[in-house]
Amino acid sequence: MLIVIALLPFIGALVPGVMIRAGRNACATFTAIPTLLALVMLMTLAPQVMDGGVVRAELEWLPQLGLSASFFLDGLGLLFASMILGVGLLITLYARFYLSGDDPMGQFYTYLLLFQGAMLGIVLSDNILLLLIFWELTSLSSFLLIGYWKHLPEGRQGARMALAVTGSGGLAMIAGMLILGNIVGSYNLTDILAAGDLIKSSEWYLPALILILLGAFTKSAQFPFHFWLPHAMAAPTPVSAYLHSATMVKAGVFLMARMWPALAGTDAWFYIVATTGLVTMVLGAVIALFKDDLKALLAFSTVSHLGLLTMLLGFGTEAAAVAAVFHIINHLTFKAALFMTAGIVDHETHTRDIKRLGGLAKLMPITALIGTVAALSMAGIPLFNGFLSKEMMLEETTHTVWWGNPWIVPALATFGALFSVAYSLRFIFHVFGGPVRDDYPHHPHDPPAGMWLAPALLCVLVVAIGVMPFLATPIVNMAASAVTGVPQDGYLKIWHGVNPALFMSIAAVAGGIVLLMIHRPLDRVWAVMPRPEAKNIFDRLMGWAVSATRWLTDATHNGAISRYLAIFIVATVALGYVAWSGGGISAPTRELLPVPPVVAIGWFLLVVATGSVVIMHRSRFRALVIIGIIGLMISSGFIYLSAPDLALTQISVETVTIMLLLLALHFLPKQTPKESGALLRLRDGVIAAIAGLGTASLAYVFMLRDIDTISGFHLANSKTGGGGTNVVNVILVDFRGYDTYGEIIVLGIAGLAIFAMMDALLNGPAARRLRNLDLSSDRSRDRHPLMMVVATRVMMPIAVVVGVYIFLRGHNQPGGGFVAGLVISIALLMQYMASGFVWTQRRQQIEYHTMIGWGVVIAGLTGAGAWLAGKPFLTSGFDYFHIPPIEEFELATAALFDLGVFLAVLGSVMLMLYSLSRMARTAGETVNLEPMDFDPADRVQNEQEAK
Amino acid sequence: MIQADLNVILPEIMLAVYAMAALLVAVYTGKDKLAPMLVWLTAAGMVIIAAIVGLSGDGTNVAFGGMFVDDAFSRFAKVTILLSAAAVLVMSQDYMTRRGLLRFEYPILVALASVGMMMMVSAGDLMALYMGLELQSLALYVVASLRRDSAKSTEAGLKYFVLGALSSGLLLYGASLVYGYSGTTLFSGIIQAAQHGEVSLGMLFGLIFVISGLAFKVSAVPFHMWTPDVYEGSPTPVTAFFATAPKMAAMGLFARVAHDAFGGIVADWSQVIALLSLLSMFLGAVAAIGQTNIKRLMAYSSIAHMGYALMGLAAGTAFGVQALLVYMVIYVTMNVGTFAFILMMEKDGQPVTDIRSLGMYSKREPGRALAMLVLLFSLAGVPPMLGFFGKLYVLRAAYDAGLAWLAIAGVVASVIGAFYYLRIVYYMYFGDDESEALDQGSGTPVLWGFLMASAAVMVLGIINMFGVEGAAAAAAAVLVN
Repeated sequence: MLIVIALLPFIGALVPGVMIRAGRNACATFTAIPTLLALVMLMTLAPQVMDGGVVRAELEWLPQLGLSASFFLDGLGLLFASMILGVGLLITLYARFYLSGDDPMGQFYTYLLLFQGAMLGIVLSDNILLLLIFWELTSLSSFLLIGYWKHLPEGRQGARMALAVTGSGGLAMIAGMLILGNIVGSYNLTDILAAGDLIKSSEWYLPALILILLGAFTKSAQFPFHFWLPHAMAAPTPVSAYLHSATMVKAGVFLMARMWPALAGTDAWFYIVATTGLVTMVLGAVIALFKDDLKALLAFSTVSHLGLLTMLLGFGTEAAAVAAVFHIINHLTFKAALFMTAGIVDHETHTRDIKRLGGLAKLMPITALIGTVAALSMAGIPLFNGFLSKEMMLEETTHTVWWGNPWIVPALATFGALFSVAYSLRFIFHVFGGPVRDDYPHHPHDPPAGMWLAPALLCVLVVAIGVMPFLATPIVNMAASAVTGVPQDGYLKIWHGVNPALFMSIAAVAGGIVLLMIHRPLDRVWAVMPRPEAKNIFDRLMGWAVSATRWLTDATHNGAISRYLAIFIVATVALGYVAWSGGGISAPTRELLPVPPVVAIGWFLLVVATGSVVIMHRSRFRALVIIGIIGLMISSGFIYLSAPDLALTQISVETVTIMLLLLALHFLPKQTPKESGALLRLRDGVIAAIAGLGTASLAYVFMLRDIDTISGFHLANSKTGGGGTNVVNVILVDFRGYDTYGEIIVLGIAGLAIFAMMDALLNGPAARRLRNLDLSSDRSRDRHPLMMVVATRVMMPIAVVVGVYIFLRGHNQPGGGFVAGLVISIALLMQYMASGFVWTQRRQQIEYHTMIGWGVVIAGLTGAGAWLAGKPFLTSGFDYFHIPPIEEFELATAALFDLGVFLAVLGSVMLMLYSLSRMARTAGETVNLEPMDFDPADRVQNEQEAK
Repeated sequence: MIQADLNVILPEIMLAVYAMAALLVAVYTGKDKLAPMLVWLTAAGMVIIAAIVGLSGDGTNVAFGGMFVDDAFSRFAKVTILLSAAAVLVMSQDYMTRRGLLRFEYPILVALASVGMMMMVSAGDLMALYMGLELQSLALYVVASLRRDSAKSTEAGLKYFVLGALSSGLLLYGASLVYGYSGTTLFSGIIQAAQHGEVSLGMLFGLIFVISGLAFKVSAVPFHMWTPDVYEGSPTPVTAFFATAPKMAAMGLFARVAHDAFGGIVADWSQVIALLSLLSMFLGAVAAIGQTNIKRLMAYSSIAHMGYALMGLAAGTAFGVQALLVYMVIYVTMNVGTFAFILMMEKDGQPVTDIRSLGMYSKREPGRALAMLVLLFSLAGVPPMLGFFGKLYVLRAAYDAGLAWLAIAGVVASVIGAFYYLRIVYYMYFGDDESEALDQGSGTPVLWGFLMASAAVMVLGIINMFGVEGAAAAAAAVLVN
């Protein structure tokens, strides 16, 4: 049954939206039906709860999260639920008449029911996570309701601020609820309420308290979050009456009451809650007096009364809790009535400005009567219900000691009450009192009964409780028992005898009347008095926040990749430091090797060369040459550390890449890009140095300690398993043959891709720019120097022989297909550089594309050959042959594979060169077909012809 | 033997073969004329493969000596990846055709990236990991700079490439250190070498560098620098792709490495990941406030969301991994819907990315505005939308694992983050009306459908999350034991 009650409004919400066309009455009726139904069902449960029972219902939902759809109904829940449904019903009626025919009614009622359902969910939830969900749902639906009149700019502002403040508060509450649930070990409210002592003794009590209170304070518009409520008043009046006085803003108070057994009673609770409440109460009351907008006046008065409730709950005593519960009922009745009255006035006169009103008592007597009764109750005049609970509140303050000071709380409370009387009286006299005016924007008269019926009903309650407080006694006791967790059987009465509270009350009423009399001069003072407007502060804070974040994003994301890299590297170094400090560093197990002078010089050269590249990076060719030096130094390092194979590979790769780079850089723009400032360069330098030092020290630490390496495996198996003693080569063609196979394919693709891209480039828009490139300035005067041409031609056969030699010995001695390919590439490259591309091309008739293809095919076929022997792909076989004139030599299938590698490497490098030369020719490089070409045969022929 | 291996990896092979075949066919026949057809075909293929993966047997199958693992975890991630990639592909077709961006390579590249992602989440070995990662990244580098005539797009692609290469290098360095100190590249071997109390410095450095490399892929702060530029520079459908499938894949890989390979030394990485998570959440939340370009805003939003997902990982528990998976699925679904909306933002037929242009959108397109509102609230993690449950999951996971400070910080960050999501809502519902209004009725039914479906999921999903919870729990149980 409980679940049905909780769901009814949601189900009902679907109907009005669909019923839009059926007219206003149908909409209103279909909104009222689910509300009424829920209310009736609630009432059937009421007797059980009144007897002190608790109704429960539970549904499994997401058990892993601790989330279940469980509901329970106790005294407090019953009180709030009937308030929500009861007022909801009245508001439905009121809105039917209040809203004009142009407003989309269906939408309005849908939102209203959604909101009602969410509120109902809050007060009935037995699971704090479920409560959270409903909590935020109220923010959401209220957002839609406040923003209902979209054409009003204040409406927009108000909706946004309301959502920003209450929504964030709700999110903060999530953390608080999580902590709470974790302390108790259950997310069930019943369990949590029973575990109050456990919670209060937990070290996480304070954070949980603050986070939950943040949610409650924002929702209930407590100082300093009070500013959103008055701005939300741009909403249609039924919304203001329902949300901003009767229900939603009470959610925060409800939560504090609900959590009272679990959280209240500590010093922290008292000082945070009671103080906030007190400040809010006084502040709200003072501001309310000076508001000219009827609804703003009521809004600040609501803020003040919410503060009062918060303060009472903050006192942490049972009597105060009883007073709070009683005041919740009373405030509901008179404030909702007042809001509706204000709505009627607005509706009839088309203004809410108090300064333009007055004398309405004669024109709309019924409304005036309702307004007066409700306002007198708000002022706390005897025989109205507001008086009773205010007396109780004042009585409580007299027992309260704040920081060892017994009179400050009662004094401030009286001060607040005084202003409260003043603004209530102002509401009566400045709106209804005084002479009839003739300048109302619209001539007023009493509205139809449907509109004043709802507030009138509430006024009946106001008076009934005021005169016969015993009527409310059982309800108050029931709810108060639920709040405190201890049965309450107090008795409410009008006359408490002559006590301090009475004097305070009298002082407040007297002072209020005086205040109202001098309102005009006071108002002038107020107008010129500088006062911090919370909304402006909110806006300015937002502005600051936005500009601060802009600054942050601009500073970090300025689009410069150097900055990104700097952040990246700094972060990595920082993480490295974390690892460094976290890892246990064992004592070094190795001695540092002695550093002979040669090594020291080499190291020094390396450092100098590296530094020089950085300094000279603007003159490319110099930088390139120095990079070459670095490569050479590294290669010598390999040699020194007895790795000739690596050194050989390194040198050849180095040479080829430097040459290709040299050619490629030729075509890039000649002007230097904009340099960053000296400071930035210093920063980058420092970062680079730190990163470098970090890496170096890491290497240093690692190398001083023994580690299990896999070199042993390769060294041991290279000869026996792969048939070669050159471990690097065996790794390449055997152990990691797959990788190598993949790599030559990649290399081949790279060569082809460069070719293809160059093709696109030469046919694209860039070709024009290329043709306009002026390369004459850096052209050598002697384009084909004699010495170089001759030397390269002489060297050519030697280089080829060396290449073949390196290829053949590769499996056992330093060398191999990869290096051989590079060596021959270098030889050819030299030819091209010395004699020009076309000259060389004519004498060499191999298609590079096919060369790459053949390389891959040969390597692939070699690998596949292993299948014939029933072995997996790329298993190499080898055997030793003895051909008489030569010594015993070995043939491994790996050698064939190596041939594939050789061809692919050679083809790729040459194809890259070919691409570059095409580019040069497009750029207008003239081709010398006969560079230094002197064929003796030609000469003989020429001489013969001459003869 | 090899037959069995191939069977395990069959879905990947199918997609890869399809991609290569499609490439060949398209090159030799209609080229770009085939592109729209290819988009639909690829998407359909991905959905079919997702179905095969999702419905195929249970249990754990290992191929290639442990290098490739097919288990509940990888299946979960793969289904998410494939479905989201297919969704984004379909969404992009109209947009890219009209802007002349639809090349036939685009669907193929997405398919290849997806193969890489599937490989990533199934990796059981450092080498398999790297291979998958690079296959994915290389395809992504290209699609990031798909708009070749735009300097912004190419610059973004180049930056992404340079930084990505650096991070890959870092990851490789880390991997080689791990290999050097554990003697194996198999995760199953590494976890034996890396047990409590005996973590060598080299191993630790390896771990840290691997984490840094992966953090780049999930765009966690401080390795996030590429994200806003790439998101802004890429064509919007590509941005949508970046925001969905690759994120899931990278997170899946992250979880796999953390638990499968380094599950024995949770304490050593948990704190680092918690730190990354914290920084991401806050930077994402704070930096987005100043953004007016919705794509850049979504970039920061994704950074923040990755922070939350990492929170689940930082917990170091099975529940944490479950939370991560649930979070990611919800995140991906939300982003598909949100980007469907962004793709529909047009003025005079031209794409618009300024959020101020959304002024009073609700008046002209109430349905779409409402759907977007639901999505934005969900992104912000406001109950009762599904996004809240995702957040609740990770927060609980972190809290239960003793990372209460992280959970609280996460909540604070979400409060800050809510601000900018709500700002968009504000513009849509209350913004300036006069300012340049967006076109009405723009976009295709496909986009509209995705927007509405995604929003509906955010609301209806709260009933039982469509059963994702259970699947995620099973997936997490496989990974953490």
